[in-house]
Amino acid sequence: MSLAEGNELREVNETDLVDVGGAMAKWEHFPASAILHHGKPCCRVAREWIFSTDYSQLNGENPLTGPRWLRLKYKWGASVWPISWCEAVRQKTLDCGALASMANEVFVMRGVKSYPAQFIQQYTEEATRHWRESWTDGNASDHWIKDDLIYHEGCAVVVREGEIRLWDASAGWWMNPKQFGGYGGLVALRVFAPQAEFSWGAHRIAPGRWQRIQNERQGLALASAG
Amino acid sequence: MKIYISGLYSGTNPQPGIGVARSLRAAYPDATLVGVEYSNRCSGIHWADFDELWLQRPWDELNLDAYAAEIKEVLDAGALWISGVDLELMWLASVFPEGHRNLLTPSTMALRKISKPAVEAHVGLPVSIPTYISTETPDWELHAFCRQHGWKVWLKGPYYEAVRTASWDVFERVRTLLARAWSTERLFLQTHVSGYEESVCFSAYRGELAGAVYMRKRELTEEGKTWAGDVTEVPAEFVAPLKQMVRDLNWTGGAELEMVRDTGGLLWLLECNPRFPAWIYGSTIAGHNLPALLVESATGVPPARTQTPVSEEFTRVVLEVPVRSQFPLPSLPEPYPGGIGHSLKHPSGTLALAERLHKLHILESNGNGNGNGNGNGNGHHAEPDNVTATIPTVPSSFIADLGAFDFAEMETPSFLFLESTAAALFARAAGQAAKLTSETTKVTNAYSIKTNPDERLIKLALESNFLAEAISLLEVQKALKTGFKPEQVILNGPGKWWPQGLLPTSPIHAVFCDSLADLRRVVASVERKELQAKIVGVRLRTPTVGSRFGIPVYTPEELEKLVAAIGTLPTDSAFGIHFHMASSNIGVRQWWHLYESMLRWCRSIETLSGRRIECLDVGGGWFPDDWQTDSGDQFAAAVARARQFLPHVVQVISEPGKAMAQPSTALAMRLLELEESAEGEIKEAVVDGSIAELPMHFFQPHRILHRDSQTGEWRALGRGKTPLLGRLCMEHDIVAWNVELPEGASAGDLLVFCDAGAYDRSMSYVFGRG
Ligand SMILES: Cc1ncc(COP(=O)(O)O)c(C=O)c1O
Ligand SMILES: [Zn+2]
Repeated sequence: MSLAEGNELREVNETDLVDVGGAMAKWEHFPASAILHHGKPCCRVAREWIFSTDYSQLNGENPLTGPRWLRLKYKWGASVWPISWCEAVRQKTLDCGALASMANEVFVMRGVKSYPAQFIQQYTEEATRHWRESWTDGNASDHWIKDDLIYHEGCAVVVREGEIRLWDASAGWWMNPKQFGGYGGLVALRVFAPQAEFSWGAHRIAPGRWQRIQNERQGLALASAG
Repeated sequence: MKIYISGLYSGTNPQPGIGVARSLRAAYPDATLVGVEYSNRCSGIHWADFDELWLQRPWDELNLDAYAAEIKEVLDAGALWISGVDLELMWLASVFPEGHRNLLTPSTMALRKISKPAVEAHVGLPVSIPTYISTETPDWELHAFCRQHGWKVWLKGPYYEAVRTASWDVFERVRTLLARAWSTERLFLQTHVSGYEESVCFSAYRGELAGAVYMRKRELTEEGKTWAGDVTEVPAEFVAPLKQMVRDLNWTGGAELEMVRDTGGLLWLLECNPRFPAWIYGSTIAGHNLPALLVESATGVPPARTQTPVSEEFTRVVLEVPVRSQFPLPSLPEPYPGGIGHSLKHPSGTLALAERLHKLHILESNGNGNGNGNGNGNGHHAEPDNVTATIPTVPSSFIADLGAFDFAEMETPSFLFLESTAAALFARAAGQAAKLTSETTKVTNAYSIKTNPDERLIKLALESNFLAEAISLLEVQKALKTGFKPEQVILNGPGKWWPQGLLPTSPIHAVFCDSLADLRRVVASVERKELQAKIVGVRLRTPTVGSRFGIPVYTPEELEKLVAAIGTLPTDSAFGIHFHMASSNIGVRQWWHLYESMLRWCRSIETLSGRRIECLDVGGGWFPDDWQTDSGDQFAAAVARARQFLPHVVQVISEPGKAMAQPSTALAMRLLELEESAEGEIKEAVVDGSIAELPMHFFQPHRILHRDSQTGEWRALGRGKTPLLGRLCMEHDIVAWNVELPEGASAGDLLVFCDAGAYDRSMSYVFGRG
């Protein structure tokens, strides 16, 4: 009984709108965000503070632990670019690019290999409309929104030779390598790394180019058919 | 087909009955499902998938023999039984020592091999067991375990319940509650492992694995129970050892291995539950109907309906269902007068069942010795609990020093200075510092005067090449009076200039500024030539461990201000950095991490200010045993690390207080009165000592010695059932909760509380002395 009900569920989020190809084209030449260094004491203090605080926050745990404290200190919101270290550390809100860039440096400082990662995620048009309005109100660019898709940034953290995990510095969590599409789902990924290829869960990731992330639900349907 | 399913509790910490019923209904639409419960308070009895209900009286009322016979009849008649209640299936295993074809639960042998915390059967699995210690050890060792693990420990009951005990007084209180609830002292303390919770759930029949799934918790209740999860295949490296384990245990029934995956990817096994988990229907949703596989294995009857996987991910919702007309809701018990709430826990009488099974010796200790993952099953102890195991070791020097006192004439309570013990401690510390000193770096001890300002200790410090660490000018004066020179004094803390006018006129060794205001005052004072110090430094506030002391660097602005302020410090003094955080509070491992993190902060400050750090003062706060158990290797490594991070450091100072003072003094008291029960047990004893002399009683245990009034022999007390009540008219003046007084103990007998030489001594108060 209950199982049969599940089969009839209509997926409200499964619209025809998801234009992943268009989104990948839109953000094809988008560089990963990088925070500027003034080359002066102002930025030096800021960076020392970040790294020493991170070490304290890590509390002796494994260096692969996500630096969630950054997100606790900085609310996710609009940032005005370009931004320098001395400016960034004094903000109340930082956008995903600034948070990802900070987290990336923190991982590297800990001796962990970490690379900038770009995500295209699916939400809903209701969600993206609100974001667009908030960002425009704050004089920040809304270039990161396309229909119900958004551009987002994080870190590709090498956990073992050839294997990465994706840290979403704005959410403070690791992305699930099993993607089912739908709200919050990762539909495309680009990692900037010198390596040839990585595995992320069951996915093979080739650095330097946008690539679609396969939906697990197809796998499930196949299993049940077989 | 008729299947009995027990354990229908459906609150925030639910039993699996409903999930099992839903799963079986999905596979066997025509089966008769009988819900078994022991309280009509359990809302699961109203779940519509149950065709019939077998509602028993709660466990404290049930006639166990009659019930056993009824269950046998049911099984003999061909019905199956799936238990969702741990204690019920332990009892069933004893009722059917040879098992029963239709009883889908494990045997006593299998249950013993998966019992907490050792989970003996885990050996082949790719998991480790978090470190644990049985509470049947001396309090002294339990406290050490907690310190070692930074008080991130759980006190766990033998079957259910785990309570985080973040301090000694909480531990003592929870231990009493759990021991009373579960009718046993056999609890254990286990370290916390942080990470993500995962499970392997399986079902098996007579040693053959029928099916297994892997579940990650994706949403948790406040109690840490599953609210949502994802279900996938069991990882390949797990399958073969799991099959082997199931075979070795000849397992029948459902089971769940509850684990935590740490950040490094290692799996830690918390426990193995001998039944399906409450989320079992989540597995069915994912296409793995484990209860149905169990029934199929036992009966050979394949499911009437095949399963279609719907989703790998499941979540819970809250549902209202109609109450069955034949089981109307019972009344709510009256709240106790003045009480809060209705006290509804354990409606089916689980605690009463535990007590009954203990009396029948069906539940016994499973050899929970002290473990680091290798269960060392040290056999069964019969009730009552093993008192000998809880007797602490008392250093022989304590006993030797006690020989110097004439107790006959002694008024009690009275502090006893243990002379040779104290001397040996200081000598050891002096030797340690000398050994750690190298050509480049001098390692120096400084005695923290406030910890115990007893002149004999200050004198020992002076003779052992210690500096004197003072937090007030009165303390400075005391140090000078005892023979220290100003150049051997370190001045610390927020009130160090109090009282006015007592500052030595010649240079002191070091002063550490506690705030930016303090720093400005020091700079002005040095400029006016009122203050002279070889080292002028700052105390840093520890960033992640809350503290009210020192200069904070919580924000980049604060760091910037500190760096600027350091620029104003006199340049003819050396610069130093100090921090202090008691490892006895935050734990030893945590302290070492704090040390490492402080080295990084120091390096940042050195880089940014351009001011060389020549002195590093790491404060005190060591519990004596932790200070002494270090062979020196860790301290030696720490000094080397300091040089590595701060190449200009020429002096490393540590400021032990209680590491020196605590063992040096004991407190003698006498038994005033003993209250005996009808059976001749000492119910409680009143002593002439009190928490006014032992204010640290809430934070740490004290080893207690009893003096035989005939022979004068000293004997350490183990844990027992007698509380020692202090002489004060204060409800919480109980200096020990649970000791075992020796037979023949009587009023007038002398007790000595050891380990009372630090803050017990210096913070004792005069309440109740007229
Ligand atoms: C700065 C400083 N040093 C040393 C100590 C001595 O600590 P303990 O007696 O716990 O060893 C303290 C105690 O609070 C302190 O604050
Ligand atoms: Zn700058």
